[in-house]
Amino acid sequence: MHGWTGKILHVNLTDGSCRREEIPTELLHAYLGGRGLGVRLMRDFFRLDPFDPEIPLIFAVGPLCGTTSPTSARLACVTRSPLTGTIYDCSAGGRFAWRIKAAGLDAISITGKSAQPVFLAIDDTRAEILPAGALWGKGIKETVASLKERGSVTAIGPAGENGVLFANIMMGEGNSIGRGGLGAVMGAKGLKAITVQGSGVTGVADRERFDAARADVMRLFRASPVIFGELGIAEYGTPALVDLMAQRRMAPTENFRSTFFAESGNYSGPSIRRECGARKEGCYGCPIQCKKSSDKGEPLPEYETVNHFGALNGNSDLHAIVRANTLCNELGMDTISAAATLSAFGEARGRFPDPAEVASLLWEIASRRGEGELLALGSRRVAQELGKPELSMSVKSLELPAYDPRGAYGMALAYVTSNRGGCHLRAYPISHEILRKPVPTDRFSFSGKARIIKIAEDVNAAVDSLVACKFAFFGATLEEYGELLSAVTGVEYGPESLKAIGERIYLTERFYNCENGFDRADDALPERFFSEAGSAGEGIDVPPLDRVRFEEELQKYYRIRGLTTDGTFTDPSFLEVLP
Amino acid sequence: MRDQIEKYSGKLLADRSALPGRIAFAAQDDVLISDGAPDLAELAGATLSRLNALALVAARPSLPFADFLIARSPKGENCILPQDTETRTFLHDIPFLRKGELGDDPAPKIAVLLGNRKGVIVEGVGIVTLGAITVEQAFINYSSVFHSTFVKYLQDVLAEGFLLPGEREAFQAFRDQWLRPLSASGLVFRDKLSQEKDEILSEIEAVGRYTVERGLVDSFFGNISACAGDLIYISQTAASLDELKGCIDPVPTDNSSTTGITASSELLAHRKIFEQTGARVILHGHPKFSVVMSMLCEARDCPIKDCWKDCPHVREIGGTPVVAGEIGAGGLAKRVPPVIGASGSAIVYGHGVFTLGRMGFGEAFAALVEVENFCREEYFRRLEACMLPDEHKA
Repeated sequence: MHGWTGKILHVNLTDGSCRREEIPTELLHAYLGGRGLGVRLMRDFFRLDPFDPEIPLIFAVGPLCGTTSPTSARLACVTRSPLTGTIYDCSAGGRFAWRIKAAGLDAISITGKSAQPVFLAIDDTRAEILPAGALWGKGIKETVASLKERGSVTAIGPAGENGVLFANIMMGEGNSIGRGGLGAVMGAKGLKAITVQGSGVTGVADRERFDAARADVMRLFRASPVIFGELGIAEYGTPALVDLMAQRRMAPTENFRSTFFAESGNYSGPSIRRECGARKEGCYGCPIQCKKSSDKGEPLPEYETVNHFGALNGNSDLHAIVRANTLCNELGMDTISAAATLSAFGEARGRFPDPAEVASLLWEIASRRGEGELLALGSRRVAQELGKPELSMSVKSLELPAYDPRGAYGMALAYVTSNRGGCHLRAYPISHEILRKPVPTDRFSFSGKARIIKIAEDVNAAVDSLVACKFAFFGATLEEYGELLSAVTGVEYGPESLKAIGERIYLTERFYNCENGFDRADDALPERFFSEAGSAGEGIDVPPLDRVRFEEELQKYYRIRGLTTDGTFTDPSFLEVLP
Repeated sequence: MRDQIEKYSGKLLADRSALPGRIAFAAQDDVLISDGAPDLAELAGATLSRLNALALVAARPSLPFADFLIARSPKGENCILPQDTETRTFLHDIPFLRKGELGDDPAPKIAVLLGNRKGVIVEGVGIVTLGAITVEQAFINYSSVFHSTFVKYLQDVLAEGFLLPGEREAFQAFRDQWLRPLSASGLVFRDKLSQEKDEILSEIEAVGRYTVERGLVDSFFGNISACAGDLIYISQTAASLDELKGCIDPVPTDNSSTTGITASSELLAHRKIFEQTGARVILHGHPKFSVVMSMLCEARDCPIKDCWKDCPHVREIGGTPVVAGEIGAGGLAKRVPPVIGASGSAIVYGHGVFTLGRMGFGEAFAALVEVENFCREEYFRRLEACMLPDEHKA
């Protein structure tokens, strides 16, 4: 077998057992790896409460991981989210994923709950559960430093230990498994960290074909202004979007009350480069290197983070934003949800937190003390508790990222159809509505968006299962990645067959969610977007969304997906016909 | 979507890449629609219904070159490899179906091929291309396949002559009837472009339209810029040259803003050209004969295999330098700026032409016309020279 190892490591923290098992080849062919494989492996567990000890926490790499396929040293972490209640996956890059593959594994599935804090140590042949009492309560840096001799490290911080509903799992090199609170699931299992080292090499079935496909991908990267253009993400990281979103009048500001923040230039890509001495960093083996670090080696914030600790909280102090980002990383918390929760809290009480208060509130959240006890539950529960549920700018309890849906109607639809809640990355319509890739679409029109979003969701489910980075698709397409996959595995894949796999994954996730009670009522945007206009300027009007057109398009989407008008499945045995 | 179908059917007619009455589109949202020539519309709908995509065009190209390429291909071959770098970068190869393979219902076979590639040539039927997320994308892919087959066929004829019955006559008809004289006459340009934003935007929009209307380029093949003080105004990536209104980015020359992340992938080349030549405007397009001629290299026993990116030599066609270089962040931005200043124009191997205007677009447009006309004439001169021995034998 090429590409895959065909092995999964099952770890039971309750009884302390670790065993390697075979993964049926047909499942690997049908779900690839990463998100797809993880979601399939959840089939018998998706109804469990996220904090039930028996729920699996799955780390799955893809068939391209371990090769020099661009952007593919990645994994997906899959379980059910304690923040959203949905099935949840997050893609993350870094050496950790590459070492899982090198240790001979396609996936690690962790169940059970340890009575004492532990960490899991994996190498080529063994897996051990070892005490981590001394590390419990420690931040990410110290934890990683303590364990780095054992290989690559992924760990939770105090936020995960304390059950913060948007706690991350942090990778040793600064990447994060973010958003849905998977760090809290890991913490509930008493698992502080995982270390992995391996020496295996991923075989490639057809080296010549692989080299040609890789060259095609790299050529497309070089042809993409978003990737390797002189104003692109390789140069400035995702904060390259700050100026663009300001110009397009769709940068969420003060809890989405407006869509333009006059001082956003303070934390634009060029400003970060100038003020922080930003230098190129990135996921292991990635040619794009879109992550940036300061001249002192500190990871610098991404676009979502600068906007949300910036405009969304009415703050233009770049260095305060950088500190908030660093603090979230150290405590193991998602920056988007943390900042958005503070913003909702700020609007509810009539005052957004100033930079000093942001820092203290972040500490309180991670330790669940003071106001942090409530804020640790995320914006939906905070707003509800404060009697102002309308102030949570979230979908399915997941806080919205930094693209105002009034400025991109495909984004509006994609937020609600996303299976993990208000996420920009499931369909990523910003790619065509704003960045003009692969072709531009009219951002102020719903026309055709139902089909476009459906197709993009299928594509991205496949991308998350390869696992590759979505930024690669600002240049390349599934044509080139299908070639890479065929060359690596020796199994023929192309864009259409990959989209079919993506569709299977998407529908499986949707089915899980529906079985857990989700339906059309949960596919809803906050009322603000239908009743309040965004900030006009530079000849651009940002009117409220037209609810009638939005609902029409949502119904179209359901029809295209073969769902009922309520967004549910007609066939309760849907899963039985799937591999 | 019907308005989009109407729009892009019109564009296929306007750029004369498809035969009137032989165009059909299909598109699907929650329902599938198709429109155009009934038999092609049925084929388009039947094919698209099997694919996870939004749109598809099936049209008979106005020139028989794609069919000729299939007929000239050795038995057993099933795809064409584009020779020009632009379409090769995005299409990789173009699969084809021969007449004998079609059977009673070709849609499933076409769908299988389109499941892996953006476009396919169906012998006797036409070019069928997919738009993954828009109708426009299907049109762009059609244009790319048309461009690619045009360029490759002309190259092949120059290298191998006519091989098929009727080929010579069809080619003569192409030369006498399909091709039209290229000129800038009658077009209005500002003699000296001011620094005013509105004037610059309006001039760029007009020049974009001219290049398409005059048949110099297909609408998606090129980019245009003007320098004004600390700003470069440049057409956006994936912008149609004949529809540039609202699709021009002002980019600060000192990179103090990244708003121009949506600018053309050739922004770096434009910036370097401005820096090294002092020009006011730049026009870049992919006129077909220039692309064909740029790949005609007479060097023998040359060790360089990937000429389009690795050739370090500066050749010349009619006084215009020819250099190699990949698009975007590849080598083009390094190799064009040093050579373009002297002649005001430069050709990139297998890609297209850059021209300059010191004061305004009149000079740049005239230079583009001149380069393409020279290449066209030179192509036919060489072809006639190749054909002469056969003529004498006859």
